[in-house]
This record gives sequence, C-alpha cells and structure tokens, in this order.
Amino acid sequence: MSALIAALLLLLAGTGTGVVLTRNPRRQVLALSANGLVLAVLFMALQAPDVAFAEITVGAAAVPLLFLVVLASVKMDRSPRAPDPS
Amino acid sequence: MSPRLRLVLFALACLVTLPAVIGIALNMPAFGAHPMPYGDAINAAAPRERHVSNMVSAINFDYRGFDTLGEEFMLLCAVTGTVVLLRGSRGEALEARPGIVPGRKMPPRSDAVVLIARLFAPLTMLFGVYVALHAMTTPGGGFQGGVIAASAALLIFLGEGYRGWRGVVKSPMLDVLEGGGATLYALCGFASMALGAPYLTNFLPLGTFKDVWSGGLMLVENAGVACAVAGSFALVFLEFMEETRTKKAEEGQ
Repeated sequence: MSALIAALLLLLAGTGTGVVLTRNPRRQVLALSANGLVLAVLFMALQAPDVAFAEITVGAAAVPLLFLVVLASVKMDRSPRAPDPS
Repeated sequence: MSPRLRLVLFALACLVTLPAVIGIALNMPAFGAHPMPYGDAINAAAPRERHVSNMVSAINFDYRGFDTLGEEFMLLCAVTGTVVLLRGSRGEALEARPGIVPGRKMPPRSDAVVLIARLFAPLTMLFGVYVALHAMTTPGGGFQGGVIAASAALLIFLGEGYRGWRGVVKSPMLDVLEGGGATLYALCGFASMALGAPYLTNFLPLGTFKDVWSGGLMLVENAGVACAVAGSFALVFLEFMEETRTKKAEEGQ
C-alpha cells in the first residue's frame, strides 16, 4: 500500500467520522460531500476511474444537492407564511 | 429507549459480532491482491471478441447486457416515481418566486458565481458528451457521461437563475430523453431477436480495436443509456429545485 493510498484512507476515515459527528443537517450535507470527494480521489488512486466518475458526480454533487433542496423545502414549510392544510 | 440502554445494546452487539468480524478480517486476501480469475478472463477475451478497450463497457453492455437493461428500467421507475410524487403544486410556472425561509437573507447571485457557471457549464456539457462518446475506449461511459451532462444543465441554474434555467431545460424534453433512451436500449435487444439471435446479441460490425466507433451494438446501447441517465438526473434535479419555489396559492400575496 503506497503512502498516497494510506493517506487517502486516513482522510476517508476522518471525513466519514466528520459526517457522523456533525449535528447540524446543513453542515452534515457538506461533510457528506467532502466524504464523497475523498472517496472519488481514493477510487482514482486505486485505478478505478469508472467508479470515481460516478462517485464524484453522484456522491459528491447530486446527492448533497438533493439533500440541500429538501432541507430548504422543509424550512419553508415550517414558516408561518405557508399555512397549508394538505 | 434511553441513551444508556442504547449504549448497553451497542456494546452487547459489538461483543457478539466482533469475533466474527476479526476472523473475517484476518482471512481476507491482502490489500491489492488479485485473486480474480473472472476479471483476467474478461481482460484477455474482450479485446479479441468485442474489439473494445474499456472492459467495464464490454461487461455492462455486452457480457451482462440484460442486467444493464434491468438497471436501466430500475432507474426509469425510480425517477418516474419521484416525478409523480413531486410534480404539482410548486414551481411549475417560470415566474414562480423563490420560497422564503424566515430569518434567512436572500443575497443576489455574486458575479464570481455567474462567471464560473457560465464558463464551466458548456465545458462540463462537452466533457459529459466526450465521456459518453468514448465509452468503448476510455474509462467512463453512458452513465457517467449522462450524469456529468445533467450536472452541466444544473450549472445553468447557478449562472442564470431559476427563470433562465427553466427557459432552457424543459421538462417534456427530459421526459423524452429519459424514456427514449431506455426504449432504445430495449429495442436493441429486439433487433437482435428479429435477426434470429438471442436477445441483445451483438450483431453489428465490431469495428477496429481502440477506435471510438468500435463495439458494434454496444455503441447504440451506450447512447441509449447516456440519454436515459442524462434525462433522469436532470429531471430529478428539476423536480427537486421546483420544491424551493413558492406554492401557487401563495403567489397572489
């Protein structure tokens, strides 16, 4: 195992712990995105560019974006300006 | 369940599973070891049999092409379900105003964001098309290229705002891309059957090794997957972004 891969694995463990320990949902989304980014770089270092592509687009960008939208939408629904019985 | 009880349960579960986990971990092949005869077989066979240099594509679109058809329709069903749930009250109109979260300011888009998004949206789109087109020769393929293209469409939102984005990225267009791509993949299989071969048999000329247009029927299937994935992801982005707009009922206020 090269130093690069060891460093990336450590970084992955670090960012993963960060995701678990972050309590604020909005920050947690960003932590998740950082975790996905490190994972993509690790896949790249392990010579799996196919998976790295998928991880960086889906794991580091698309999923965090959907979470951010959901958080915004939930916040809006709780506002007093939106009394919606349905 | 109190936090203390949860901790006790967690410790008990650890005690029970730990010996098995350690046993498995010690018996795993060494990191980077290569006990994968199937991978070696594909590496040896695919360039000769299918004339492609990206083995992942050879597996996805040919050796287990029927599996990919299943994945394709799984994605189609998941996205259709999401769209059915979310299409409706919010953000359908181009002039729908952004939703308001109390106590949060709404700063205007910064020039830096607009500049970066305008620079990178076309480049990202080009890269997505490149990745999808070179599925048979270099890493990547229809799925990866499609997702990259869909995120390029999202960069338009960052650069031009909701109204400008909705003006370019139209929902019916994405519906056609998504469904059409999946249908194209399924039709490839029926074309094989029409020629008397089993479903998804590669009947087109395979081309030359390391050429962009190598792989025969895989090229058509790859195009189908690229369209379907780009359409699906863009559609999910669109339906989700609509949820950040105000509801129709509120627009009069």
